[in-house]
Amino acid sequence: MDARTRILSRVKRALKDRPKAELPGPLHPVPLPDPLELFLRRLEENGGEGRLMRRGEVRSFLEALAQGFSGAALGRTLPPDLRPPLPELPPEEAPLGVSYALFAVAETGSVALSSEEGRKVHLLPPTHLVFVEADRVFGTLLEGLLSLEALPTALGLHSGPSKSADIGQVMVKGVHGPGRLLVAVLT
Amino acid sequence: MRVALFITCLADQFYAEAGVAAVRLLRALGVEVDFPEGQTCCGQPAFNAGHWEEARALARRTLRVFQEAEYVVLPSGSCASMLRNHYPELLPGSREALAFSERVYELSQFLVRVLGVERLGAGLKGVRVAYHHGCHALRELGVREEPLALLTNAGAEVLPWEAAEECCGFGGLFSVKLPEVSLAMADRKLSTLPAAQVLTSTDAGCLLHLSGRMAKRGGNLRVAPLATLLWEAYAG
Amino acid sequence: MRAKARFYPKEAARLLQERPGVREAVTGATLHFERNRLRAYAEVPIEEWRERAKAVKDHVLSHLDRYLEEAERRLLEKGVRVHWAEGPEEAHQVLLEIVRRRGVRRAVKAKSMLTEELGVNPFLESLGVEVFETDLGEYLIQLLGEPPSHIVGPAIHLSLEEIRRLFHERFGTPLEASPEALAGVARKVLREAFLTADLGISGANFLVAETGTLALMENEGNIRLSTSLPRVHVAFVGLEKLLPRLSDLALFLPLTARAATGQRLSTYVSLLGGPAKEGEEGPEEVHVVLVDHGRTALLADPEAWETLRCLRCGACLNACPVYRQTGGHPYGYVYSGPIGAVLDPGLLSLEEAYPLPYASTLCGACLEACPVKIPIPRLLLTWRHRAVAEGLTPGWEKAAMAAFRKVMESPALYRLFSKALRGLPLPQDLLPLLRAWTEGRGALRPSPKPFHELWREMEEDRGRQN
Repeated sequence: MDARTRILSRVKRALKDRPKAELPGPLHPVPLPDPLELFLRRLEENGGEGRLMRRGEVRSFLEALAQGFSGAALGRTLPPDLRPPLPELPPEEAPLGVSYALFAVAETGSVALSSEEGRKVHLLPPTHLVFVEADRVFGTLLEGLLSLEALPTALGLHSGPSKSADIGQVMVKGVHGPGRLLVAVLT
Repeated sequence: MRVALFITCLADQFYAEAGVAAVRLLRALGVEVDFPEGQTCCGQPAFNAGHWEEARALARRTLRVFQEAEYVVLPSGSCASMLRNHYPELLPGSREALAFSERVYELSQFLVRVLGVERLGAGLKGVRVAYHHGCHALRELGVREEPLALLTNAGAEVLPWEAAEECCGFGGLFSVKLPEVSLAMADRKLSTLPAAQVLTSTDAGCLLHLSGRMAKRGGNLRVAPLATLLWEAYAG
Repeated sequence: MRAKARFYPKEAARLLQERPGVREAVTGATLHFERNRLRAYAEVPIEEWRERAKAVKDHVLSHLDRYLEEAERRLLEKGVRVHWAEGPEEAHQVLLEIVRRRGVRRAVKAKSMLTEELGVNPFLESLGVEVFETDLGEYLIQLLGEPPSHIVGPAIHLSLEEIRRLFHERFGTPLEASPEALAGVARKVLREAFLTADLGISGANFLVAETGTLALMENEGNIRLSTSLPRVHVAFVGLEKLLPRLSDLALFLPLTARAATGQRLSTYVSLLGGPAKEGEEGPEEVHVVLVDHGRTALLADPEAWETLRCLRCGACLNACPVYRQTGGHPYGYVYSGPIGAVLDPGLLSLEEAYPLPYASTLCGACLEACPVKIPIPRLLLTWRHRAVAEGLTPGWEKAAMAAFRKVMESPALYRLFSKALRGLPLPQDLLPLLRAWTEGRGALRPSPKPFHELWREMEEDRGRQN
């Protein structure tokens, strides 16, 4: 008998006379009134920086942003019009990473990032810029999860800059993950 | 209305004045008070320490001593909770224990919820009180607003106290089995005390532990059981 | 990992005496977490959430075999290699095979209490693998060679001064270095580790049976990095971590975050579904090790199985006034505080975990905090009752209880004792108990007369008046 058999038979034996508890039915999402406004507010509370942006404004925004960086790492699925005018660098070297999110969650101030565009671009550059379409900003996490037809290999929910208070209870940003998270919601 | 007073072993020995105050107060409010003289201890120390045979023996005994009582009133949150919540657990299937548990009240709970009395008088006018919420009263009986209302309505100023709802560290046998931790917990309470004139609570164990620690550390704040203050509220 | 719970009384006393800074640091950290949790709970219909979470977990636990089998099927479909480990030996075997086959020289680890239970670090080190704990708190205690003091914040017992001194000795940083500067040093060391590690090891907060998804929560990003960069990822998952549906994460992720740190959601949540596809970044190999290590024994316990609902949020530790005085070390095992006191006897044995169920005043703050309503005070009483039944309690206590019962069963004896308290010398076997009281609280001062005498006097007065 291998470990699997032994463990499963112990579980079955343990539960033999245990009354079965019912599973509560699935939750039904309750849409929130103004997810865009809530998303920006919650993201800011988390220490992130967010703004609404019309597609036509993206070009000038990226040009201005590019002034502060020597290069950028780009998510593989990033639409061409969302690429900053900067030399493309590998994520290990780039000061800026640019991503395109699957969706965002207003109540928690989170963006959902897919491994389809890569993983290092989400984590290694110290500044992370994320674009998300306004109609993909959901009120709740439940809506966001239900909106996906298939899960990518890895889905990352990022809700702000990396933080830790492990050193004497003092909050420090950017330990490991990006210390700066910028989100542009495309209206 | 007739109640039986269960003084509890700790109050009987260390805060006898709480019993006197409770009797006087209840009588002044028109309640007849009996004191079944066979009473000793509710068994809580044994129960909490896992010695359930001993606890069961004392539970059965207590049920017999108080079997005639229409209401059982205690100047103690933890003992009231023992009777109300844990006797039915100790004696599962006992209809007597279950019926009994519903007749049990901590004093302030009895005054407010059964007698409907929230205003006793003005005898505590201007008195600054630090109120310690005994854990069993607070979390097992849900007694939180009653003592505060009775004190405040009598003119007392119940001071904000950061650690008011934190356990004082008495815990029955815990106080002597893990004395260093118990004392550290008392120190946490005492070091955050506001500038009060009196420290009070529903529970004798808590008060014994805190007043003892305070005396050892050199403080001299008056410590009085809630029953005593409630009588002072009434009698002026 | 062997438990050293039996040293709790001595270790707690010693810590309070020799390292008063720990009490201060732990009190500050836990009060901070508590306040945040209360605010986060108040923002949502928390009673509904807790009730629902309890129901979902109770359901999973009462159908655990079914969900384990379903989870395994989904994991295999996704190309994950699934192993089952009864305990440390089998867990080590999984690692040994990987280390040898892939020539692992360096591993990065996410914080995982289960890997502490299984002694993963010492085992890997014995194979010559360099192991980096990447959670900043875990990294600090790894440098110090200490066990974690708290489930969520393993280094809360350390003061800023102690950390400054550690970094000064280890890395030559100035003694007045700011937290940012110290974090910067750790970040540099660990970034190098992330980029060069052959193996990433993690636990899991949840395993969703419906989709075979692992869910991991964190604030630093070290879990995202540990599970993304190395070519091999091994996740150790306790049997009780299962959830039925992906949609259940929409409750459990926010609930756990609010309970643990008062956040609406942890800064990073990783939902992982297998090895990277062709051309994608990510591990080539993903292993999930489903671990028993005492969980089936606890599941079989008709009174204590509810303990397995635990989400490892640490809310009970933050609420506990006993834990607050010393932090986790004196408890002598991975799980400390209130949950440790009821989990350890279930996972190990009561004998091994004794006297942890007594490290409590039964104040109930833990139950109030618990996001899945584990009835910790009731469980503590159950374990205490069993300790007495198994003869684990000390002889003097049994004798004291017998004497106590005798006295309290007889009003005559009780009144005699009452008189003795006020004059006669007290019985010898009571004296050590007395000393333990009076040493810190001064002499016991009974009322001049006990109430039962005052009652007689009151009645006589009333009789005379009538």
